Amino acid sequence: MSSDFWIILTACLMSAACGLLGCFLILRKMALIGDAISHAVLPGIAIAFLLSGTRDSLAMMIGATALGLLAVFLIQWLQNSGIQSDASIGIIFTALFAIGVIIISLNARNIDLDLDCVLFGEIAYVQWDTWTANGIDMGPRSVWMLGSALLIILLLLALFYKQFKISAFDPAMAVACGIPVMLFHYLLMGMVSMTSVASFESVGAILVVGMLIIPASTAYLLTDRLGRMLMYSVLTGVVSSIIGYYTAYILNASIAGSIVTVAGILFGIAFVFSPKHGVLIRRLRQRRSQGTAIAE
Amino acid sequence: MSIHRSKSTWAKAYLINKHNRKSATSSPLYQRMLYSISIAVIVLILSGCTTIQGATDESPSFAEGGALRITATTGMIADAAQEVGGEHVSVVGLMGPGVDPHMYKASQGDIRKLDDADLVLYNGLHLEGSMTKIMEKMSKSRHVVAVAENIDPNKLRYSEDGATEYDPHIWFDVSLWVNVTQTIEAALIEADPAHAADYRQNASVYIAKLNTLHQEVQSKITSIPESGRVLITAHDAFGYYGDAYNIEVKGLQGISTAAEYGSKDVSDLRNELVERGIKAVFVESSVPSRSMEAIIAGARSMGHTVRIGGELFSDAMGEAGTTEGTYIGMVRHNTDTIVEALK
Repeated sequence: MSSDFWIILTACLMSAACGLLGCFLILRKMALIGDAISHAVLPGIAIAFLLSGTRDSLAMMIGATALGLLAVFLIQWLQNSGIQSDASIGIIFTALFAIGVIIISLNARNIDLDLDCVLFGEIAYVQWDTWTANGIDMGPRSVWMLGSALLIILLLLALFYKQFKISAFDPAMAVACGIPVMLFHYLLMGMVSMTSVASFESVGAILVVGMLIIPASTAYLLTDRLGRMLMYSVLTGVVSSIIGYYTAYILNASIAGSIVTVAGILFGIAFVFSPKHGVLIRRLRQRRSQGTAIAE
Repeated sequence: MSIHRSKSTWAKAYLINKHNRKSATSSPLYQRMLYSISIAVIVLILSGCTTIQGATDESPSFAEGGALRITATTGMIADAAQEVGGEHVSVVGLMGPGVDPHMYKASQGDIRKLDDADLVLYNGLHLEGSMTKIMEKMSKSRHVVAVAENIDPNKLRYSEDGATEYDPHIWFDVSLWVNVTQTIEAALIEADPAHAADYRQNASVYIAKLNTLHQEVQSKITSIPESGRVLITAHDAFGYYGDAYNIEVKGLQGISTAAEYGSKDVSDLRNELVERGIKAVFVESSVPSRSMEAIIAGARSMGHTVRIGGELFSDAMGEAGTTEGTYIGMVRHNTDTIVEALK
């Protein structure tokens, strides 16, 4: 099948998965966790390289996954102990990244071991990175990886929708209802970590970080209901992926860059024109209420 | 104008929605408009796709009797492929002048260039970073060749610190590039046996030129007095050059342009400059020169004047159409610049 199809499919699966998780991250004010994970995995790949002696993607993935999970658990743990969520993200990811830089500069300074080279993939190449099982070409690996990540997310959200919802909005109330809030926080963080690492490997960092934040923020402007927010977020992500891909085609530019730019433009449109929280409607409401005040 | 709402607003909305779903939708007309706009946009895009895909290529493909289409990653490889292929091939390079292959970001057009190619040539030895993996996968289903694959491993340099990885900057040793040219020749003959004789002829002409170049560089470097024969650059790309032409090479950064350099590296290099009285250091076309300027300033504060000897082409060649835009021109430029500054 054509490369356009596989790239758009990969982008759509990735943005749907990130869009769903992003909504919860925004509500919990932890939107930047994607960026944090993209840096925090550095010691993971450094240690994996030192232990295995190769830059094979499997070893790198294992190292990155382990550190991604460690990072989100540490962040969640700091936050549970009363540190602000943005501060706990900042502390953990900078500290882990710094440890990675030290490990590399002590042990492997003459080896090309940066994240761009060994872990972060490039969405333009997904159609050639195929997965062969028993000699049969099963299509691009990233479609399988991101597709199963999306499936797991959908399954968990469908099973525990109410629990996730109340834990995100009102943890105190959730505890009062007997919901194990911490368990759901860790579960969400685990999903975020796995999805991010899988996506980094398939499509690169900037796209994942952007898609975790921007579509969910756009959806947040359009509705006050979580169900709709999830829907809008996925829709915005998918539309950005499609328009972004063809923008890249026309401009002959980076695909990831174009998709994130389109997502940013869509956010801008929602920011101004949103029927609920847009700048325009607020102005209008303000003027109307002033008008009635004067009339009275 | 804050876009954040308090949690209680959300909770209220949640409760209201639970009891009275209809009242929560504030302006149905506006929302319906939004829906129809978004649907219109999607339809537009989908119709756009078909027209875009309809517009395909101009020149006849290789199978239809056109030129053999070659896509090469770096400019050096593209140049060699053009020399060997001559009139029977059309070569496109992915990485333009001044591009650092370690940090290369693909653009959408690259997909077409790789998809359409009858033969893909890449450096190998992990020079192309994350692309290497893709190239290896592609090689199972089509003509994809790593031009470094036939070089005797004994001639390859290991990165330092007992690493298992080779230094990928093979083009700095012209004798290794001769081997690369032979690999390209074999790849061209395999992909297009009909013109085998021409390819052999072109390759032997080019290899003769490379052999002359190799001797020329050797004799030029020998003209630098032994004590001052030290090449200091921003990153460790010139290892092969140093080995082949007997000049000591020191780099500030590691092999990768992405590796950080420590403050001790800077001060060590500065002290060495001052102690040995080295005259010049060099900047590279594809690496920012800030770090080298710091070393020069440091040496000056210790009372030793070092100047920038000139710009060397390391990971990429010069602009197309100029002398430095070919492999031979690039090597000659580097050598002349080094000899000029250190003599």
